[in-house]
Amino acid sequence: MTPALCFAAALAFALGGLGAAPGRAQTLAGTVASAAEGAMEGVLVSAQQDGSPITVTVVSDARGRFRFPDGRLSAGHYRLRIRAAGYELDGPKEIELGAAPADVSVRLRKSSDLAAQLTNTDWLMSMPGTAADKRPLLECMSCHGFERILRSTYDADAFVPVLERMARYANNTIPARVQSRVAPREVNAAGLRKLAAYLATVNLSRAPVWNYELRTLPRPTGRATRVVITEYDLPRQTIAPHDVRTDAHGNVWYSNFVENFLGELDPKTGVHREYPIPVRKPGFPTGSLDLEADGDGNLWLALMFQAGLARFDIKAKTFTIFPVDPALDDDAMQLSMVMPRAANVDGKVWTNDVARQAVMWLDLSGGKYERIDPFALLGKGRVHGPYGMAADAGNDLYVMDFGDENIVRVDANSGASTIFPTPTEKSRPRRGMLDDHGRLWFAEFAADKLAMFDTKTESFKEWAVPTPHTYPYDVYADDTGELWSGGMASDRVLRFDPRNASAVEYLLPRPTNIRRVFVDTSTDPVTFWAGNNHGAEILRLEPLDERIR
Amino acid sequence: MTGIRARPRRILLVGLIAGFAFAGLGPLRAGGVNLGGDDSGADEGPSFFGFIRDADGSAVTDAKVTAAVKSGGALVTRSNSMGVYKFSGFGKDIDPDSVTISCAKDGYRQANVVPRSRAGADSKDPVEVECYLQKE
Repeated sequence: MTPALCFAAALAFALGGLGAAPGRAQTLAGTVASAAEGAMEGVLVSAQQDGSPITVTVVSDARGRFRFPDGRLSAGHYRLRIRAAGYELDGPKEIELGAAPADVSVRLRKSSDLAAQLTNTDWLMSMPGTAADKRPLLECMSCHGFERILRSTYDADAFVPVLERMARYANNTIPARVQSRVAPREVNAAGLRKLAAYLATVNLSRAPVWNYELRTLPRPTGRATRVVITEYDLPRQTIAPHDVRTDAHGNVWYSNFVENFLGELDPKTGVHREYPIPVRKPGFPTGSLDLEADGDGNLWLALMFQAGLARFDIKAKTFTIFPVDPALDDDAMQLSMVMPRAANVDGKVWTNDVARQAVMWLDLSGGKYERIDPFALLGKGRVHGPYGMAADAGNDLYVMDFGDENIVRVDANSGASTIFPTPTEKSRPRRGMLDDHGRLWFAEFAADKLAMFDTKTESFKEWAVPTPHTYPYDVYADDTGELWSGGMASDRVLRFDPRNASAVEYLLPRPTNIRRVFVDTSTDPVTFWAGNNHGAEILRLEPLDERIR
Repeated sequence: MTGIRARPRRILLVGLIAGFAFAGLGPLRAGGVNLGGDDSGADEGPSFFGFIRDADGSAVTDAKVTAAVKSGGALVTRSNSMGVYKFSGFGKDIDPDSVTISCAKDGYRQANVVPRSRAGADSKDPVEVECYLQKE
């Protein structure tokens, strides 16, 4: 392991809307209407003060009324924006908030470019083709949205080299920063050509407009309108927040998927800091994915192609790096996950070796890694992907097989695996969490389901998400028993009660690529946090419902 | 322990029902991590399947079924609405004779496990094992 490294780059945000300064108790309210519909429910109205990185959003109710919570906006000049599929803001686009409460009439007009407003889910709903045709597109969402694909004019032959090029990119690539893999990657040429042929039938290669109807999900109604959403813009477009979590003091921490920094945000003051992580493999993609806390509250990062784990001492603000041993490391080495939660039990931290479909444990006493094949019992003909991880009190590992359909328990002593296939085939379990009752809550990405594996009874329950083509990435179970989820497709946060299968889907103000989700249960109601991986922002969502304990 | 034997005339029926129960599985589907990637089952060993029954021969649903491998590790699944279970995808290196099937459900105890004869079977032919539970 290397000596701890630490130096902080403090970037003070302009704090326009946040200071506890005089004049904070401003009120902005109003109505939203259009000529086509009159008063409109479910329109997102966003206000961002000049020079501030913070945008606050509320949603109009059934009467078309909206209201920002008292004290959330300070006096000043604001730009307004809206989100309502099929519409754009006619006016006003700016507003001056003074001492008196403001009541504005927001007018919408029909949008001239509906395609620019479609979510990935909307595109999947709209595009003709079979589920098998569309399935490979799920991999595209990791790096970019679908609009650029569907606006392209490539024919099938022209698409092939584009897809080949993209297959060489590292998965920690975003539109603002492309990173290439060092190790060559095997590509299924026949499958790729089939995908190219399909895409050429749904893009603009044959006509200047799409030969199918563009469909959008309905606007929010009812409970889905009772929410406040706060967006914190990060200072560079190349910051790709992947995992976001709060600490015991309410500070927000995030992993940056494409740059070697750990980020910190104080949501009360708006101060943003970055802690550089040493680049130990120059020329390889940078950035980290999984961000987890150990039993002492210190943070751990999985360093992806930088081939190691990092422990961040949250008090001293220093890193300790645990590089993968040279005997195990190679150009394909990629560690996306880390699970240190029960490392105090046996001195072992779990991680994964993506390229070899394996898990590894790091022995903290010697800094050595040991590789374990959790799928050793199974045939080698199926693609597996040890991905989301959770550890129980004895440090036994529960790993989600994102490539296939299994939850795998790996014994902390023997390394032996017990494999539990999910009831739904090829569900591709992605990420989740283990609650205090021994229930593993996780997202079945490809099945469009949320699921629970009871580690005591070794049984599953599954719930379909309300909107097809959501492709949930992660699940967080809060302490009221509700589930929170998000993903890369629908620009919505899902709140789901498994006791009665009721759901609320909160539309977000911008195209939002959500990965890890986190719920701060110290607030009442709870507060949902996530990063916008392609949008360089941290997202806070506060439901306005009463909390049920 | 009460020994319970399966009735031979049911064997064909078992095979037919199991065949219907899993008819929808089809070939392994695409959708791996790579663009255009496909799974291949070419490297797999035999699958295991069978019924979970009670003393009357009735199907027992949602029973936990474990396929434990002598060298360590296991697969665990549940019987479906017809009392059928299936394990697919064991590696070809796993000796079918090293796999032990067991079953469990609250309120029951395992009574008997009946493997079907594999005489003349190919190494990739499915292995049928019935597991019987008795109410406590």
